[in-house]
Amino acid sequence: MTGRVELTACLGIVLVAVCGLACAQPQVIGAPPEASNMKLVGTNDLQARSAYQPTIHHQGDRWIAYIGHHGGTDDIPDPLNPITGKAEPNGTSIVDVTDPAHPGYLRHIPGQEGKYEGGGAQMVRICDGKSLPKGDPDAVYMLRTFGSEAHEIWNVADPANPVLVTRLGGLKDTHKSFWECDTGIAFLVSGAPDWRTRRMTQVYDLSDPAHPEKIRDFGLPGQEPGATGAVPTELHGPISTGPQGNRVYFGYGTDKGGLLQIVDRDKLIHGPKQPTPDNLRYPEISRLAMSAFNGAHTTFPMPQMPIAEFAHDKDGNTRDIVMIVDEAIVNECGEPRQMVWFADVTVENRPMMISSYTVAEASGSFCERGGRFGSHSANESMAKVFYKKMAFIAFFNAGVRALDIRDPYHPHEVGYFIPSITASTDKRCVTVEGKDRCKVAIQTNNVETDERGYIYIVDRANTGLHILELTGAARAVAGLP
Amino acid sequence: MHSRLTAFVLAIGLLTGVAGSEHARSDIAVWREIAWPFPRDAWPAGRAFQCTAAACGEEVEIYVRPKIGFCNCEGGVADDDEVDRVADLDMISQNFVPLAPGNVVRVADMSGRSRAYDLEMTDGSHHAAIGIALSHRCDLLVAVAQAKAAAPALQHMALKFLASHEMTDWIMSALGGH
Repeated sequence: MTGRVELTACLGIVLVAVCGLACAQPQVIGAPPEASNMKLVGTNDLQARSAYQPTIHHQGDRWIAYIGHHGGTDDIPDPLNPITGKAEPNGTSIVDVTDPAHPGYLRHIPGQEGKYEGGGAQMVRICDGKSLPKGDPDAVYMLRTFGSEAHEIWNVADPANPVLVTRLGGLKDTHKSFWECDTGIAFLVSGAPDWRTRRMTQVYDLSDPAHPEKIRDFGLPGQEPGATGAVPTELHGPISTGPQGNRVYFGYGTDKGGLLQIVDRDKLIHGPKQPTPDNLRYPEISRLAMSAFNGAHTTFPMPQMPIAEFAHDKDGNTRDIVMIVDEAIVNECGEPRQMVWFADVTVENRPMMISSYTVAEASGSFCERGGRFGSHSANESMAKVFYKKMAFIAFFNAGVRALDIRDPYHPHEVGYFIPSITASTDKRCVTVEGKDRCKVAIQTNNVETDERGYIYIVDRANTGLHILELTGAARAVAGLP
Repeated sequence: MHSRLTAFVLAIGLLTGVAGSEHARSDIAVWREIAWPFPRDAWPAGRAFQCTAAACGEEVEIYVRPKIGFCNCEGGVADDDEVDRVADLDMISQNFVPLAPGNVVRVADMSGRSRAYDLEMTDGSHHAAIGIALSHRCDLLVAVAQAKAAAPALQHMALKFLASHEMTDWIMSALGGH
């Protein structure tokens, strides 16, 4: 460490110690992370690739993290993969997190050439072959996007040596898909070339990943081929409750004009398939239109939540809740605040927003720190360790936020963790009077949890993977020892 | 806004005239800034201008606004479908039909696409419109011009207006500077 770096590090530590979160100081290399009731367990730099969706899978006696990446940056379009010695376009990182204190990077599968959202392989879902109705029982399947042009399925039974199984190409965009591991039904966020939107749904039967069978295209009336007039906002991603719950919750919009669409899964799969306006309306149960100011990035269902406050009520003491997470997309608060919303959908044809959550901007002067400030995504694991008790929200420069959601009418923060920046952390710029003004700040992009209770956060600005655990009061909320 | 409204009369020197319209061939088209006529939506209000029938052949209105963070940073305005989605035609009418494939256009240092539409208004009448979407890094500049009757010179008129010194100054400022 050079003297200058040491001095910078010391200065950073002093600044953090003196100011806490109340000062608008930029993050500096060497400063400690900012945390409350969350503790760092381990890290991996993910080869300094901009990271999007992590999925953690219990695979035999190992725990493997599969992490999707955005494309490269202007400065480094194709980062070096030290394992191969080659520059590779960002794709999928596969990391052994069995020992979360010492994650081991196993393999990088290159993605589509291209920078930022124009390349990479953002999304990833995992299903065991033995759980799929027609899968190879010895296989573990990874569904991922290949940039904007394809969906791919790989066999990652040996996570260090993945094998491509299937490719569904010819698309104009992709995004955050959902795959039911017990049925094989997949709701793929795609851009079918003839549809009027970049992102809609292609429903596939992937119960035999080697032989995908398309079921239908789906979207909002007005998006279908041949339609005219106004085009409804594009899909961001669905989450299905499977045949038992028989609902698919679709989130449309990213940071504007959000829409929660509640769909009858059975009617969607078995109903008339031609993309006519009537057929597209047929499986829809209801919609919850959000303000034009906010989008729906993640629509996370939590059916049958017992509400302590309503415990003695003769009716309505459990509620079906959907947590809706907006995505901030503009740096330095250049748009309305993107945050977290809770909707009570118990009466499905009258869904109602009941509460919201945001990080207090003044608690860290986050609008001045650089990069995006606002929510992006939530953990999507339904493992019982956290499900219906806690939610973890990626909040860009405010790190990850741990929420107590046991009473979804009154969610509240019980912990947070903002990682330290590193030499790999990329700058984020805004244009001021015609010139770029850039700052370096953490951009916690996505978060996932595992059945052991570890929390995995990844950074959009190339800072890598941080594995966390709860401490103190937050640990008690989850009921962890 | 009101002081700007009353004070602002933007004279665009269309010295070369506008092909295809006898009236629009006049040397000077006078655009008067009017109040933004639409309710608040996902983006802040833009600016609206009107050109009289005497100056433009038909009464023409044009609505212009930036959409920050609404464009593919790498690819820009990808295709005609994107113009359909973003060009604010739905503010005027939910029912619009493209008349033909669009075309690539450039204004200042921005490139994008323009497309002609028929708008069906709520009273059953039909308006002609031009939707324009231009990209600037990760941001968009959208404009829609409408006239009550067919206006073959509408695209030329709208692009000329946007390319005027006064408008490009404002556009670039609204998009964060030159």
